[in-house]
Amino acid sequence: MESKEIISSGILELYVLGQTSSEENIEILHWANMYPEVQAEIEAIQISLEKYAAANAIEPPKEVKEKLFAKINESTSSTSIQESHLTAIRSNPVVSISSKMKFLAAASILFLVASAVINYIYINKYNNVNAQLAQTRSLLEKELQISNELKSDWDIVKDPNNTAVSLKGVEANPNATAKIFWFQQTGEVMIDASNLPQAPAGMQYQFWAIIDGKPVDGGLIMNNNKDTKYRMQKMKSFGKAQAFAISLEKTGGNAVPTVVVSLGKVI
Amino acid sequence: MTDTKYSEEELVRMLKNKDQQAFSYLYDNYAAILNGTIYRMVEDTGLAEDILQEAFIKIWHNFSSYDSNKGRLFTWMLNITRNLTIDTLRSKSYKKQHLISSDENSVNNISDKGRMVEKYDTIGLKKQISFLKPDLKNIIDLAYFKGYTQEEISKETQLPLGTVKTRLRTAIIELRKIMS
Repeated sequence: MESKEIISSGILELYVLGQTSSEENIEILHWANMYPEVQAEIEAIQISLEKYAAANAIEPPKEVKEKLFAKINESTSSTSIQESHLTAIRSNPVVSISSKMKFLAAASILFLVASAVINYIYINKYNNVNAQLAQTRSLLEKELQISNELKSDWDIVKDPNNTAVSLKGVEANPNATAKIFWFQQTGEVMIDASNLPQAPAGMQYQFWAIIDGKPVDGGLIMNNNKDTKYRMQKMKSFGKAQAFAISLEKTGGNAVPTVVVSLGKVI
Repeated sequence: MTDTKYSEEELVRMLKNKDQQAFSYLYDNYAAILNGTIYRMVEDTGLAEDILQEAFIKIWHNFSSYDSNKGRLFTWMLNITRNLTIDTLRSKSYKKQHLISSDENSVNNISDKGRMVEKYDTIGLKKQISFLKPDLKNIIDLAYFKGYTQEEISKETQLPLGTVKTRLRTAIIELRKIMS
């Protein structure tokens, strides 16, 4: 639609009189923005109606203005109170949120630092405890092993089927004592060599059974693998024997005993 | 009454800042016109004055919502006043249920910031208006002061709808001629 058509259509008069639909109003606003002459026409109509209204003017009594201003001042102060109240309501949460956020931020930083410190402390503690635990565990394992060894040794010692033979150190080696636990039913021979002194370097103790006056090789007495202590160990089996002996030989042993250090008769 | 003259832009700025002097100026310039308009609608002097006071209170408190880009200040004030009057009529269970377009900014639209606040010579205008033919005056009154729709005007005046439309336009054109 062109501006002339719009102006001559009469819709603008109806528009200014409030006689147009909301759809028409939108269209007219669009035209007014598009054509300055439409806008000018609308204003001219408005002015003519304003003048018409002015022609119908009735001066109100002076009291109306006085009352109006009294009311405005009264409601202004009350609204300003309301407004400040509203501002307080509006601003308070904002301020409190921000201070809350500040507090939360500070708290969370503090918490972070504290937790880092605590973590550090606890990781150290954890590592220490872990090391201690490992130590304890290995200690316990060691003890358990010892305990198991002792138990198995003790089982041998207290076995009712064994024949205990005490080997005494011969004159030159009075400390070279040992205990033999001989299970005659099976021929098994166990020796507790823990009291034997350490063999000199390059030398080894050798065990013998004396059968019918002759020494028979019963095996080499070995050091415990882990330490240098002699322990309960199994020797060669003998069905019969009158006595047992230990000799000190060069490493690897000998066919016949060279120096007998300990001797005990089967009773 | 003050001799100060404000540009509309200046007045609007002052009113947005709740300047009571500007408000007093606004009242002095427009109260009589708004009062006359209300009176034409309610035909009750006391009630008109009450509505006038309410209208100015509304203008004062709602001034921040006035957008000079959307329409003339006076038109905005007139629309507030007319709507308030219609609301009052409706709430007082006046038989007329009609509501004029309630959007204060629907009648719009000029952005001439330099224009001065109109100060109408009401006495002169009264004389001029007497030149308007009674049937045209009547139809403007029905639409403008009573807020009647074209259908309602048609019923009231016993004129066909098409005629109402034409006559409304003719009335405005005549009005413009007389008032210019």
